[in-house]
Amino acid sequence: MRIGYTLYVIGALLCSVGLTMIFPLMFGVYYQDESILPLLYSMGITVIAGGCLIAVFRERTKTLLNHREGMAIVALGWIGAGIAGALPFWFGGMLGFTDALFESVSGFTTTGSTVLTDIEIVPRGLLMWRSLTHWLGGMGIIVLSLAILPFLGVGGMQLYKAEVPGPVPDKLKPRIKDTAMALWKVYLLFSVLQAVLLYFGGMDVFDSICHTFGTMATGGFSTKNASVGHYDSGYLQTVIIIFMFIAGVNFSLHFRLLLGEPGAFLKDAEFRFYTVVVLVSTAVVALAVYGTEYDSFLEALRHAAFQVVSICTTTGFATADYEQWAPVTMAVLLFLTFLGGCAGSTGGGIKCMRVLLLLKQAYHEIFRLIHPHSVSYVKLGNRIVRAEVLSGVLGFFVLYIGLFVLSSTLIAAMGVDVLTAFSATAACIGNIGPGLGSVGPAENFAHLPQAAKWVLTLCMLLGRLEIYTVFILFVPEFWRK
Amino acid sequence: MRLFRKEPKAEQLKVIIIGAGEVGYHIAHRLTRENKQVVVVDQQPEALRRVAEALDVQTIRGSGSSPVVLHDAGAEDADIILAVTDSDEINIIACLFANIISPASTKLARIRNEEYTLYRDALAQDILNISMIINPEVEVVKNIDRLLSLPGAVDYSEFADGRIRMVGMRICSGPLVGVRLMNFRTVISDGDVIIAAIVRNDELIIPTGMDEIRADDVVYFVCTESSLESVRNVVAALEDPIRSALIVGGGNIGMRLATLFERKGYHTKLVDRDEERCAVLAEKLNSTIVLHGDGTDQDLLREENAGTMDAVVCLTSDEETNILCSLLAKNMGVRKTVARINKVAYQPLVRAIGIEHSVSPRLSAVNSILHYIRKGKVLSSVAIRGEEAEVMEALAEAQSDIVGRPIHKLSFPKGALVLALVRGTEVVIPSGDTVIEPQDRILILSTRQAVSDVEQALMVKLKAY
Repeated sequence: MRIGYTLYVIGALLCSVGLTMIFPLMFGVYYQDESILPLLYSMGITVIAGGCLIAVFRERTKTLLNHREGMAIVALGWIGAGIAGALPFWFGGMLGFTDALFESVSGFTTTGSTVLTDIEIVPRGLLMWRSLTHWLGGMGIIVLSLAILPFLGVGGMQLYKAEVPGPVPDKLKPRIKDTAMALWKVYLLFSVLQAVLLYFGGMDVFDSICHTFGTMATGGFSTKNASVGHYDSGYLQTVIIIFMFIAGVNFSLHFRLLLGEPGAFLKDAEFRFYTVVVLVSTAVVALAVYGTEYDSFLEALRHAAFQVVSICTTTGFATADYEQWAPVTMAVLLFLTFLGGCAGSTGGGIKCMRVLLLLKQAYHEIFRLIHPHSVSYVKLGNRIVRAEVLSGVLGFFVLYIGLFVLSSTLIAAMGVDVLTAFSATAACIGNIGPGLGSVGPAENFAHLPQAAKWVLTLCMLLGRLEIYTVFILFVPEFWRK
Repeated sequence: MRLFRKEPKAEQLKVIIIGAGEVGYHIAHRLTRENKQVVVVDQQPEALRRVAEALDVQTIRGSGSSPVVLHDAGAEDADIILAVTDSDEINIIACLFANIISPASTKLARIRNEEYTLYRDALAQDILNISMIINPEVEVVKNIDRLLSLPGAVDYSEFADGRIRMVGMRICSGPLVGVRLMNFRTVISDGDVIIAAIVRNDELIIPTGMDEIRADDVVYFVCTESSLESVRNVVAALEDPIRSALIVGGGNIGMRLATLFERKGYHTKLVDRDEERCAVLAEKLNSTIVLHGDGTDQDLLREENAGTMDAVVCLTSDEETNILCSLLAKNMGVRKTVARINKVAYQPLVRAIGIEHSVSPRLSAVNSILHYIRKGKVLSSVAIRGEEAEVMEALAEAQSDIVGRPIHKLSFPKGALVLALVRGTEVVIPSGDTVIEPQDRILILSTRQAVSDVEQALMVKLKAY
């Protein structure tokens, strides 16, 4: 573990994050609002801090990162980015440091839980920064750095593995730098497409960019208090449904689509599972709300699809206060909270891939009981899933549930009601956003105790980096020479 | 008929056979009977001794992949080189050198690995100039599938690139029983069906119109591809189609067959004795249940409800196991059993002990190689019911006796029958008035005794070659 080199790489990361603040700054300058100074200060501090780290720990030789250093860089880098991202909100004066950090981490981890009670009065530069943190965190700040920082190519696979969600990350190209570049290109392409479609649906440039960031990153920050429900347009909502769905799919499939291989989608077992789950859940929810909440079936279908896709992909946009809906819809949505998107997507949660593997493993056990002499394996597509991948998935599942149990108990111990505590924890670990109870789609997280916000902030980070990467920092063995 | 036929050049053909295994041996056997010069190359002295003692051939010891050995075998002036060892790699390399030493010769290779056969065209034309690649396993899988998917069929062959089918079916009951052949069209109205032969109590009958179909006869129908359905509808309407199958032995054939069954949606189970092989099979196959165990283990068979399966196919490399396993399965109540039996000597035994179907990849390799070598006069020949009769596919030469006259006027030998004609792309099931035209492909059924007479009749009056 070379701490110096680790800090050097983190310095470079911080500089990159600081420089991205130019983008919201441009909007601040255009709208002439109060976000200019906070953004300038934050940018200055972040870039200088990063620059200092680079200067102090500069090494002339490119060295190969080992597994541990990769994990440390990703975990500490994300914490650093979270703090840097909190500065504009803090300097803006509307949030204390805890709240600012919560908002920033919620942004980078694409959770979309907010502590802002009135979003519409926040200066536009800061709103743009809030949405931009989604977009940067969605595909991953490390993957972005891999694409743009040349020296990270050495040993970059360690970083890539630590950040990209899913049990076995796909490598699209032989070189990690090209893989990262390809992912970001696909991401950018879909984002531009969605922004244009939203713009033509009547949003202004600012709102269409912010909502695109929230959608493609499966984040969920909106610029309106009523979230997407503010726009009473079937077209806009449908566009957002489609792009949320796209963002929840493994990006290597999109990449292959762009290479002219559309058949890859149907051949992919995880994609089929994801699609079936979304369709079935939508049908259940639509039937539950048709006739009671909505008189038109199409409207019921649209709202059902929106909520289901939003929760399943872990976006967290809302067009309706689903807490008023029939209990069965809430049960469906709560379970989807745990499921999440596909591996290699921008979505959070346990991931369809892992749930699918767990289900297959469970069936496999039953099958072995019926045919004791059989030789069989858990397969995905036509390939055998290796035993260590399966046990990794099982371990992840146990840690995920363990983290959920521990955090929700902690929050309940702070006097928060059980439904709120449970759903807030689930929503934060799964990077979804709104929960149920007093953190439902129509409420926010502002009223929670300070300590609960710290716990949830940590949950968001753990959820985004898939637990192992962050957890490992707390294991003494990790720091041993 | 001429008394002194000029010796056709075909009989002086020089053939080099690389590999003296079962395939090599039987080809050598058939070729020496046709009076050809045969050289057999093999590394195993034992195998060579067996060939040398039984057959009139020259043997050379050494690896067929060695150019020196090929040279010793006289590859330079060989007309045909057959690479039929058990190793694909040796066969390919042998053809590679054979192509260098003797580019003009016809080269046939036995290649079983699917991954090589994917590049069939490249091997055949560009690189090695191999004239024909034989993959008997593919043939065997097709054959098993036909036997199983055609209920009641006990024998099945194809002619004229699959446009004509000959299928032997056991008639147990149904509308055909008691029908005289002259009246059989009242039962099967399809004009494209003809009855070629009847086997009763293991005896072959070349039928006349007065013969009657009895219960338990095996009737050989010749029909076109499309009219096969109407035969099946009449003969085997009562039998359920196959829905589940147990395959014993997970070698190449077993795996191919399982893959095919999966595609057809059968409920498939596959047993193999080797655990590592099972792991490979479990990886390659999807819905098939791969079981590790012995196909003759009754407990395993009972545990997996083998008795309720529609078919059991035994494909291990050991024929005794296959026979035993088929008998066990029959005993447990399985409707159809197929056993892989390589030793040609066992074939007549098989029916005697109650196994209905047997397949032999080696025999089918021998058949396809011979088919290829014979190309020209007799296109292919298939033995039915052991060797009692043969169905030949031949080309009607313009100068031969059979062309230009209605069939009932031909002086065709007794015990021979014209079954079908292929004219261009059209299949004709002939009546007595049909006239054979030059370049028709004709399908002739002939008893063993009449074969040579039929060959005479097919002979061109003035030898063209």
